[in-house]
Amino acid sequence: MTAITADNLALQRQADRRRFLEPWLYLSPALVIIVTVLVVPLIIGISYSFRKFSAFRSEYVGLGQYRAMMVDPVLHDALINTLWWTVASLALQFFLGLGLALLLNQPFHGRRLVQGLVFLPWAVPIFLTGLTWAWLFNPLIGPLPHVFHAIGLQSEPVTILADPSTAMWGPIIANVWFGIPFFAITLLAARKSIPSELYEAASIDGATAWQQFTKVTLPFLAPTIAITVMLRTVWIATFADLIYVMTAGGPAGSTNTIATYIYVSAFKSLDKGYASAIAVLLLVLLIAYALIVIQIRRALLRDV
Amino acid sequence: MASVSLRNVHKKFGPITVLESIDLDIADGEFVVLVGPSGCGKSTLLRSIAGLEAINGGEIQIGDRPVTHMAPKDRDIAMVFQSYALYPHMDVRRNMAFSLNLRKSPAALIGERVAEASAKLGLNALLDRLPKQLSGGQRQRVAMGRAIVRNPKVFLFDEPLSNLDAKLRATMRTEIKALHQSLKTTAIYVTHDQVEAMTMANRIVVMSDGVIQQVGPPLELYDRPANMFVAGFIGSPTMNFFDAVIVRGAARLADGSLLPLAPAAWKEGREIVIGIRPEHLHFADQGFPATVTVVEPLGMSTQVTLDAVEERVTLLALERPQLSPGDRKYLTAKAADIHVFDRVSGLRLN
Repeated sequence: MTAITADNLALQRQADRRRFLEPWLYLSPALVIIVTVLVVPLIIGISYSFRKFSAFRSEYVGLGQYRAMMVDPVLHDALINTLWWTVASLALQFFLGLGLALLLNQPFHGRRLVQGLVFLPWAVPIFLTGLTWAWLFNPLIGPLPHVFHAIGLQSEPVTILADPSTAMWGPIIANVWFGIPFFAITLLAARKSIPSELYEAASIDGATAWQQFTKVTLPFLAPTIAITVMLRTVWIATFADLIYVMTAGGPAGSTNTIATYIYVSAFKSLDKGYASAIAVLLLVLLIAYALIVIQIRRALLRDV
Repeated sequence: MASVSLRNVHKKFGPITVLESIDLDIADGEFVVLVGPSGCGKSTLLRSIAGLEAINGGEIQIGDRPVTHMAPKDRDIAMVFQSYALYPHMDVRRNMAFSLNLRKSPAALIGERVAEASAKLGLNALLDRLPKQLSGGQRQRVAMGRAIVRNPKVFLFDEPLSNLDAKLRATMRTEIKALHQSLKTTAIYVTHDQVEAMTMANRIVVMSDGVIQQVGPPLELYDRPANMFVAGFIGSPTMNFFDAVIVRGAARLADGSLLPLAPAAWKEGREIVIGIRPEHLHFADQGFPATVTVVEPLGMSTQVTLDAVEERVTLLALERPQLSPGDRKYLTAKAADIHVFDRVSGLRLN
């Protein structure tokens, strides 16, 4: 009698184990892919930040790179530049993109053509975008300095990229030009999904055009806005190509952001350890930012 | 509460005329149903009254105010949409209070109105829910509540029951009618469903191709349709039509059989169409011959489909005839029950 019970228990345990393992077996292909392409590189990258690299060897330095970061004045400036670069680019891209989306939602002749053209900046390679804008700001071949001079923004037609106090505006303007289509297209798609009856009901209920925008359009766009702003912030903050092509972080480090500093540290100073430590810092900052945005979005959704 | 009058209203979408010289007077407190097949212009007419569509000519008056060029919000109307058009991010209470909030009504008044409307519609338990948490019927009710709280001069309904299942539609039909009887607000109701039109309306407006075909109380439209379109549109199962010629004051059908007509100055040889409702046809010893094809017992009545005079004929019998497919029968109708139409113009002749 007791033997049978023991047998039963063993069988039971075996069945339990199978029931526990079976789903993981089915998930394993996806898990293997995620771990190899996502988790492993991330862990290797983070592990670099605890080492110091020089030309032919590397050594473990513990938190040494992080301690160096704390007292690095260049990094401090780069943090402030990154904030400035990200906020200005994002705000201009967003508001101009939203405006463009609402304009493109109005019926007018040739709307389909314009909607297609709006995509164009995305089809241009970033490298070319950077070069083109750098040339546009160059007084020898570009018109912009002469325009700025003519309308009184500049006392003489020189490139804004050469002046540390204005240089950041160059990549920001190029980035805005490049990023508007993203907001315009995603917000236009969200705007088009709002049923027209809601606007009709609102107009009968007595809502003015502005009230229709704030009470119907914005609440509908809010989830899209939250997600696109979050994505775009991350992209802009880690976006080094444009700045590097236009100013290479100069003059005098005035356009040096964290992203360009990582590039410089890794490939010019050849200290992959320090570059990884900065990258980890940026990762932590962006994760914190994403968590805040998600919280704000939840609060907003509960409110409206 | 107010009357509504339309004078010579025209509406075009590009080159297509969708409303052609519409004249209509709706009395204070009346429940008028606009009915017609899809594309007949009934929804456009309703939206023109609401101010959601600009008209190309004519005048619209609500109460004693001309509103032709007014914005929708100034017309003092409320509209219930087929899709309900509830604001998805607002709960039921805020959906209903929205218009009063926009008008900056005092909070106490808003609370009172919303409470009154929600009690009337049985929405008290749902006030804090979002539209997505409601069933179709409940959303429909909220849409009506949103219309009621404003206490508007006119209610406009644009196919409000089309998205509901058949059983719920019948319940809501009764509820809307009861609601109208208690509120006594002028209501204009658009539907393509002639049963809704018959059951709810004080008066029905039948439209086709942007033109009003006939206006009248439901039973008047049923008993004396002004033309073949109305005759065919109102009533289910639909009226049977036969081509005929006047011979000595009677109608001679294509197969030569004669049907009696009510005495009138019939012109000999005139080409007509006669219409007979399914419930007015009955089996007899003489009349026109027909062959039974399908027998459908409905319980209360029996619907019989027959082949006769190159036509498919429907007969609705209240008794339960013992028939089987293939049976040869004679059909006839009383002279008073036969509708006579001109074959060319389709207009009623008797």
